[in-house]
Amino acid sequence: MSPKRDMFTRFIKKMFQLLPASVVTACLLYPPLLAAAPVIEISIKDHLFYPSVVEIPANTKVKLFIRNLDPTAEEFESYELNREKVISGNSKTIIFVGPLPPGEYPFFGEFFPKTAQGTVIVK
Amino acid sequence: MLINSVIFVLQETLEAALLISVFLTISLHLGHSLRWLAAGFFAGLFFAFLYALNMAQVSEWFDYVGQEVTNATLQATITLFIGLYVLTLQQQKAFAADTGTYRSHLSRRLFFAATASVACAITVEGSEIFIYMQGVFLQSDALRSALTGSIIGVAIGVSAGVLLLYLLRSLSTPLLQPMSFSLLALFAGNMLSQAALKLTQADWIPSTAPLWDTSQWVSESSVSGRLLYALIGYEATPSLAQIISYLLGAGLVITLARLTIRKEPPGTNNL
Repeated sequence: MSPKRDMFTRFIKKMFQLLPASVVTACLLYPPLLAAAPVIEISIKDHLFYPSVVEIPANTKVKLFIRNLDPTAEEFESYELNREKVISGNSKTIIFVGPLPPGEYPFFGEFFPKTAQGTVIVK
Repeated sequence: MLINSVIFVLQETLEAALLISVFLTISLHLGHSLRWLAAGFFAGLFFAFLYALNMAQVSEWFDYVGQEVTNATLQATITLFIGLYVLTLQQQKAFAADTGTYRSHLSRRLFFAATASVACAITVEGSEIFIYMQGVFLQSDALRSALTGSIIGVAIGVSAGVLLLYLLRSLSTPLLQPMSFSLLALFAGNMLSQAALKLTQADWIPSTAPLWDTSQWVSESSVSGRLLYALIGYEATPSLAQIISYLLGAGLVITLARLTIRKEPPGTNNL
């Protein structure tokens, strides 16, 4: 093996050796990476959110698992959460929110804002 | 339903209308062909329709964050094409100052960059309008008011674009270039910032606490907040990733605009 190629192989090996340490450091510096996000399920039916009020823990990343049971699409929108996503009719989707400080964060369905309203309460 | 439709369609239309206005201002000032407008508009409508048709499947990609990734890609692409447009415009100006003519390959690149930017912008926003209209057609009781609202929304969005066009066209020549380029830089920053937000929503970028909160002064849900959002990408509670990407996008366009700037010979077009 040529010295150049040998050096390259050692470099790649070193990188792989450092990889677990890098992952652990990243997880320590950014704790949400370490934990799997808790899942909160929300359904949309007749242009209403069920449940319309959901509680999530403070300073924790949460996965909102949303099922749209209506045949029409809806757009999940929240200025406070900084989130916006179209959910097709009869489909499901995922939206990550947080980590957030304690407080109330309203959300609504942009296609049917009069009925589709809800709040995320962070405790 | 009427007011909902007006608000929804207006805010989806506004961004693309404002981008088209800036490109139109530059093209009209330099006497360039406007073929990019038709090409970008119809390509955008076509891809928006295609995207809307397949939204459910696209959303399932990458473990249900396909929509965020697709939109972020399209928005980052808009930033790159705005950068290419500004760079090419400056190269063409430099060449025209030397020879008094335009190079055809630079004109083609300008056409391509403007067409692609407009097409991507219409694809992102237009797809949501198509999906909204699809829902409206399934609800026969609200059809008339929703359609009327949508037409009013499009009309107001286009009017805002026309207003910006006339405001820019009324500027004196020395002001036209800095103002047009500044708006393009802000738009590019806005697009990259929105791309970062989408990737944060998909959990591809870590979510961090907002750097500041200006919602007490200008709420994002207010009329002025929505207009500022479309024009300069206003966010009341931006994250660090959004601010960095905004500065990167705007900085890219400003840097490219300054790369080929040279001393103007007297009597040349200031763009």
